[in-house]
Amino acid sequence: MIGYALRRLVALVLTLLAAALVIFLVLEVLPGDPAAVTLGLNASPEALAALHAEMGLDKPGWLRFLTWLGGLASGDLGLSYTYRVPVAQLIAERMAVTLPLAVLAMLLAVLIGMPLGVLAASRRGRIADAGVMAFAQAGLAIPNFWFGLLLVLVFAVGLGWLPANGFPGWQAGFGTALKSLAMPALALALPQAAIIARVTRSAMLDTLQEDFVRTARAKGLSEGVTLRRHALRNALIPVVTILGLQFSVLIAGAIIIENVFALPGLGRLVFQAIAQHDLIVVKDLVMLFAGLAIIVNFAVELLYGLIDPRLRQA
Amino acid sequence: MSVAVDKAPGGRKRRWLSPSFAIGAVLSLAVVAMALVSYLWTPHSPTQMAILKRLQGPSAANWFGTDQFGRDVFSMIMVGARNSLAVGLGAVGIGMLQGTVLGLIAAVRRDGLLDHVIMRTADFTHAFPAVLTAIMMTAIAGPGMLNAVVAIGVLNLPYFARLARGAALQVWTQDFIQAARAAGLTSRQITLHHVLPNIAGILVVQATIQFALAVLAEAGLSYLGLGTQPPNPSWGRMLNEAQTFMAAQPWLAIFPGAAIALTVLGFNLLGDGLRDAIDPRLRRSR
Repeated sequence: MIGYALRRLVALVLTLLAAALVIFLVLEVLPGDPAAVTLGLNASPEALAALHAEMGLDKPGWLRFLTWLGGLASGDLGLSYTYRVPVAQLIAERMAVTLPLAVLAMLLAVLIGMPLGVLAASRRGRIADAGVMAFAQAGLAIPNFWFGLLLVLVFAVGLGWLPANGFPGWQAGFGTALKSLAMPALALALPQAAIIARVTRSAMLDTLQEDFVRTARAKGLSEGVTLRRHALRNALIPVVTILGLQFSVLIAGAIIIENVFALPGLGRLVFQAIAQHDLIVVKDLVMLFAGLAIIVNFAVELLYGLIDPRLRQA
Repeated sequence: MSVAVDKAPGGRKRRWLSPSFAIGAVLSLAVVAMALVSYLWTPHSPTQMAILKRLQGPSAANWFGTDQFGRDVFSMIMVGARNSLAVGLGAVGIGMLQGTVLGLIAAVRRDGLLDHVIMRTADFTHAFPAVLTAIMMTAIAGPGMLNAVVAIGVLNLPYFARLARGAALQVWTQDFIQAARAAGLTSRQITLHHVLPNIAGILVVQATIQFALAVLAEAGLSYLGLGTQPPNPSWGRMLNEAQTFMAAQPWLAIFPGAAIALTVLGFNLLGDGLRDAIDPRLRRSR
């Protein structure tokens, strides 16, 4: 297991390096002069020269890449051009919105998707099964930002229970802040819940055919206990895998949803950074998003190896 | 033997026309038809503004109402279908063509260096959802429809590479490949004449489902303003513009969203149905 973990760790580091290289090439080498992109067409030569110096553009590319890597490792991400504050500080502030949003969405997705999947599998071919599968099809087809808008129409415009957008900050109180995250999290959770319901259902159907499930039933365990203790536990592996694989989808969704609900999170930050041509912030944030997806995938693979020893060989 | 082929494992007659497949086919065809008809006819001009008629509800004259500039929403949705289908076609086309070539090469060189390089690169792109790629492209080159095509295409490429490789590896183990080898065919000839025809069905089915995902992704990108630009109508951007007026005019937010959802649903169902028809072993209801 340790050898397997080490091999995966080397792969992780190489993948992160490759991601950093791609991002660096696209955002700093491809545009020719990133300082000119940042300042726009009407930049004075003096301002351009000053930014050149600040971004270190007078140095060769490989040195800038290494400097950036060092900064990523040490948490020194440079100064945002538009905000004039360290990017690390910006990220930390915005993370306080995005992270709870993502966790809440993930939680909702599991809480909605898994019971539905179990229900569908245990009522296979019946009305409840068809209903869950229809829900899953709908959940996959409905764009999450549109679902968000519909939620706003119902719960903010219609019923007036929840704020239509914005975020008061955690200092406004846990309940108040959570209220602002409820609709965005639900919108973000919908497609994930649909996928989880599907995967849970098919994994349950697979395990329900196993001998140990028959044995559990034969020895007189109730159907509920059989489902929970024997079938569901074995069906968890594919569900965990999907959660990991879906993580980058969740990030992508969060970027859109934060813009729908005007939440001051990382997704909105990267968006404002594009509008302001703040390539420094864009570069760091894209690296953060991609890096998170890579690390979560790594964690899932490791977990997989832990669960199934056969996979350690590969 | 032929009887056995026509029957599902349960002995039931194989249902080529399951209800969901039929729904999927009808919805998909309707969208394609809508896009094609929009070249010849729309109830009103999708770009002509009529301030006096702005923000009207659905009526006999404007079936889906009018937007904040008095443009006919139904006409905009019709023309917007072109845009969704074009981006989907471009993105999936690029991904399928290049991904399949790479996957087939990887299968020929299985476990070789080239195989590893291709497959690790494919894994790697997982970390870049379409919106991230589009964000990078927009940051350096400004927004545009091409960004959406490339960003979504980048995601499709590894998908098809992985699928083509996996399916091709299975074909390579079959007896008729041995026979072809013995007959002196090169790897390239075997790939083109034996492997590719055998995996084409799976690839087409997957393309249908990837197409649905591409339409969904395009809607998200154009909602964010990263995709199709004005004055070309696009469903995603219509939703973005609707948000301001949504409280008083909810239909502005409802119709374009329903168009996206029904299109994605249609192609998803079509893909599932095709998969069941081609390979009963992969049936989802198993």
